[in-house]
Amino acid sequence: MNPRLELRDISKRYPGVVANDQVSLSVMPGEIHAVLGENGAGKSTLMKIIYGAIGADEGEMVFDGTPIAAHGPAVSRALGIEMVYQHFALFESVSVVENIALCVSGPFDLAGLSVQVRDVSEKYGLPIDPHRLVHDLSVGERQRVEIVRCLLQDPKLLILDEPTSVLTPQAVAKLFETLRQLASEGCSLLYISHKLDEVQALCDTATVLRNGRVTGTAEPKKSTPTKLARMMVGADLPETHHGKAITSGKPKLSVKGLMTSADDQFGIGLKNISFDVFGGEIVGIAGVSGNGQAELVSCLSGETPTKTAHVITLDGADVGQMDAGHRRRLGLAFVPEERLGRGAVPPHHLSDNAMLTGHRLGMVKNGMINRGAANAYASDIMQKYNVKANGHEAVASSLSGGNLQKFIVGREIELAPHVLIVSQPTWGVDVGAAAFVRQALIDLSRSGAAVLVVSEELDELFEICDRLLVICQGEISPSVDRADTDVEEIGLLMTGLNTPSSVAPSGGISR
Amino acid sequence: MSLQIERRAEPSSLMRVAAPLIATLLTLVVSSIMFALIGHNPLDTLFAFFVAPLLSMNGLSEWLLKASPLILIACGLAIGFRANVWNIGAEGQLVVGAIAASGVGLFYPDPESPLLLPLMFLAGMAGGMAWAAVPAFLRARMNTNEILVTLMMTYIATLLLSLLVHGPWRDPDGFNYPQTALLPNAAMFSYFDATYRLNTSIFITVIAVVAMWFFTERSFFGYKMSVGGAAPLAARYAGFKESGSVWLGLLISGGVAGIAGMAEASGPLGQLSAQISPGYGFAAIIVAFIGRLNAFGIVLGGLLLSLLYLGGEAVQLSMGLPSAVTSIFQGMLLFFLLASDFLIFYRIGRPVAAQGGT
Amino acid sequence: MIKSTRRDFLKYSAAAGAALGTAGLSNLALADEVLKVGAVYVSPISEIGWTKQHSLGVDAIKAAMGNKVEVTTIDSIFKPQDAERVFREMASNGNKLIFGTSFSHGTPMQKVAPRFPKVAFEHCSGIRHMKNLGTFEAKYFEGTYVAGVAAGHMSKSAKIGFIGGFPIPDIVGPANALLLGAQSVNPDMTCSVIFLNSWFDPGKEKEAANTLISQGCDIICSMTDTATGVQVAGEKGAWSIGYASDMAKFGNGKHLTAFTLDWSSVYVSAAKAVAAGTWKTSERWQGLADGVVTMSPLNSALPADAVAQVTKAQKDIVAGTLHPFAGEIKDQAGKVRAAAGATLSTGDIRGINWFVNGVVGKLG
Repeated sequence: MNPRLELRDISKRYPGVVANDQVSLSVMPGEIHAVLGENGAGKSTLMKIIYGAIGADEGEMVFDGTPIAAHGPAVSRALGIEMVYQHFALFESVSVVENIALCVSGPFDLAGLSVQVRDVSEKYGLPIDPHRLVHDLSVGERQRVEIVRCLLQDPKLLILDEPTSVLTPQAVAKLFETLRQLASEGCSLLYISHKLDEVQALCDTATVLRNGRVTGTAEPKKSTPTKLARMMVGADLPETHHGKAITSGKPKLSVKGLMTSADDQFGIGLKNISFDVFGGEIVGIAGVSGNGQAELVSCLSGETPTKTAHVITLDGADVGQMDAGHRRRLGLAFVPEERLGRGAVPPHHLSDNAMLTGHRLGMVKNGMINRGAANAYASDIMQKYNVKANGHEAVASSLSGGNLQKFIVGREIELAPHVLIVSQPTWGVDVGAAAFVRQALIDLSRSGAAVLVVSEELDELFEICDRLLVICQGEISPSVDRADTDVEEIGLLMTGLNTPSSVAPSGGISR
Repeated sequence: MSLQIERRAEPSSLMRVAAPLIATLLTLVVSSIMFALIGHNPLDTLFAFFVAPLLSMNGLSEWLLKASPLILIACGLAIGFRANVWNIGAEGQLVVGAIAASGVGLFYPDPESPLLLPLMFLAGMAGGMAWAAVPAFLRARMNTNEILVTLMMTYIATLLLSLLVHGPWRDPDGFNYPQTALLPNAAMFSYFDATYRLNTSIFITVIAVVAMWFFTERSFFGYKMSVGGAAPLAARYAGFKESGSVWLGLLISGGVAGIAGMAEASGPLGQLSAQISPGYGFAAIIVAFIGRLNAFGIVLGGLLLSLLYLGGEAVQLSMGLPSAVTSIFQGMLLFFLLASDFLIFYRIGRPVAAQGGT
Repeated sequence: MIKSTRRDFLKYSAAAGAALGTAGLSNLALADEVLKVGAVYVSPISEIGWTKQHSLGVDAIKAAMGNKVEVTTIDSIFKPQDAERVFREMASNGNKLIFGTSFSHGTPMQKVAPRFPKVAFEHCSGIRHMKNLGTFEAKYFEGTYVAGVAAGHMSKSAKIGFIGGFPIPDIVGPANALLLGAQSVNPDMTCSVIFLNSWFDPGKEKEAANTLISQGCDIICSMTDTATGVQVAGEKGAWSIGYASDMAKFGNGKHLTAFTLDWSSVYVSAAKAVAAGTWKTSERWQGLADGVVTMSPLNSALPADAVAQVTKAQKDIVAGTLHPFAGEIKDQAGKVRAAAGATLSTGDIRGINWFVNGVVGKLG
């Protein structure tokens, strides 16, 4: 039998970096094939080459025994290659079926299409109402829309780019069932991930990439996480070390009865949120994205000042009405979820970006910039946090997501804040660096700072946090000690099924 | 074979230099064809356009005289543009600056006072700033679109000028023609040489260029403004206030345009007339973008645009080319220049090479 | 650094008066050399209009002097800053005779002329003349008076609409004469005046013409550099009076007549005088008698008695027996500006800044 897809010596170079270096792999019909690698290993580039979104510099692609000549997304669709992107491209204000109609070829027949959508979604256990508006859907449901869209094309090869990053543990299990069913029908799957446990649970074969090269193939089910990780990272994974949390007597960050109204129809209003974070501890906020995290974090950082001052206190001072700069002067630092355009200015050099929040550290004198100090600060972060970039002159947009994340996290930690708020601390960061970032957060907290981590990755929260809160539909659960809970319980809280309505989410959560 | 466009990971520094050269080359090729088609020797025409105007002292003087206000205004505009503050109304601010300065020049009790010129300078700057303060206030307080407001304010300024020169300020001996009396000598910038029109107001431009470079590259406020322009969310994240950028961006560009208006009245015009500005306020927008919003780029852009005007006249005079053809040529060069910027951020290459195992 | 000398021209103009009548610029004689002549136009040369008529004057020089003359022209020079540069450029490039064709060229020419004492400058619409800067102008008001006679016959509403570029005497005077001509036929005639503050703004001009017609004006006369007024009148069924060129073909059959300009004699005589070394500065103000102002053929719809009266007015003006500004003339306020039996002086006409009784509108 011919392989469904065979890549032979695919290479792709960008100025200063080789994204793919003679990558070869082969996927059989019905095979679930993992492409495993750290961020920046070249996985996304490879998938875009397969889909035809970008061209390879060298190499050959063979599909069902036939070499692909002039490639492109249109060719892919004709061949039956479909791709589910990590970030969905859906129009929020129109219905599911209208979104799908925009992507499928053929006559524009909404009625017929909605019947098809229903059939496919029932067949694969992806329940979805074709007439609902996309903005009403949860993230998991939106992913279903994307998958259904692909399935309607009768794909022979389905590419999934980090599909679980937005899902609850329960939804992940459900997704895997669907994918297994698809594979059993002969569809080949390329599954891109850096999560070893998922790959081991789902995939038949794994091709591991590091620095753009194939470092090995494995059968994940027969391998161990350590072996896979070594192939990915090229070394053994570091472990994080916790000291004992010695907390301050008074909370460093305190939220009391924070309420906001949703500023648009797709937003979430915060409902009477209260919690404290003490110096010396890390508190995690878990939740499926879109449940109010963005709104909460923006209130805490000062980007959206609140109506009354006393709902947020920082070291005892009422800061609710202060802007971000003001709060930073009081010792707050913050790593936002969006790296480009919020945490960093895309067209600016790294040294300019170091200055964005680091300017307080002697980089400005009499209104004039001290370039040397900014450069030194940037270089220092790059070295300490192992940021791979073309020197401090590199522009932020040229860095891979993980490297930029390390840079921003490093910049904020090096400010030596009293309170650090971090959204998605290791989002898109490779395994090795993620461990480093986590350790840095722990070290910061153990030096006396209060650290609040908002993350969708439960593993991460369990690894570093001392206490956990769950946010769902703009409400926050009572805090639980990490030692007293497990993934299953938190996962249920995240879906909102287990929100104990008897427990008033107001006040009294401090320990 | 089709071509594919790809975004570059990092803006190409080679192309930063090469793009203007490519643009120039394309302009030369296309314009040569155009000149040849209408029966003029391309080489002679290009020589007359770009070289001949600069071969005399008078030509050089005129070149700088015209480039100076363009560069001056563009420096101010670029500071705002870097912060996404889109002052399109420098023309109006120039006019109001000229009005304010001429008002002082015409009505100051002592027309021989050595203070007259400095006072006019301050009046011109204040006039331009006041005119820009209106859109600044509206944008900072009420989030009004400053593009529209500054543009509309330009119409008001032009009409205000018209009102004054047709009415109360009209030269009583001027046969009703809409212009004021001539400004006194003390209200005029000195010439370097009476034979040529270039005057000492060029020093204002020189200072402005250096100040702009310093402000954008070295000052923390300039840095904060550029953050606000490139990534407004990042500015909010860092706690930089937008309203500061709006006020500063508009006041600087307005003040500088007002000074340029004053320098026209106290320079080549010598009076206030209904036609105070040959469109400098609008042309400076082009200069700012040709110069990539960078101080020294703007100098080059201003010199280029000024040369295009002079060259356009020169080929009419020496080759008898119609003014429409010179306008096409000027438009073509600007188009190629701005379009070739694309090459800095994108590259064009062959699509997929994934074929044939050779 | 040398202090400004831009006011030198004031001294020169004072001296110019004294110099008048004395020898011309005889040192400009060129013997057998080719004479270089420059002309600066204020707008592009189009099919009709002000600049077109000047270009015909330049053509007349070429026709008259053949290969003894070399002509350089430049168009679309309006702003004073640009004009001064162009005049300098032309003077330093060896042109011995340079024409400026717009009032706005005046100040620049007055600044440049003293620097090039061996170059003869001729300024159309000019007011101030100097030793080497002559001025020439047409008596437009003679043309508008004759056209006004025709208008007085044809207007049913007794309302004329007049559109002017700028409220300068050379426009204000003709507007007054247009109404005086019409009132010579029908004393009840009035004239509404709108100024565009531009010589070339077809959009604004169209708006102005429409406004005037909607106010009841059934005669439109437009002293700008376009045929827009004539066109709009033709479309709306109003009569029109053309200016500078014969605009009959734009009038949709409603073009009454046009007072046209023929500068050939001025251009040719100046060029010949410079070539011969006999040019000297002068102030010319010429009208129907000199052929600088001419009337284009009358519309065939005019009744015979109207044609007779129009023709008579024209003949009488040429003969000097009729003066458009002969008293009694009252201004808008009713003040007598010229008593019965008197006429306005040349100075009064060239500096006129008031409207005659019956004009609706204000100066600027």
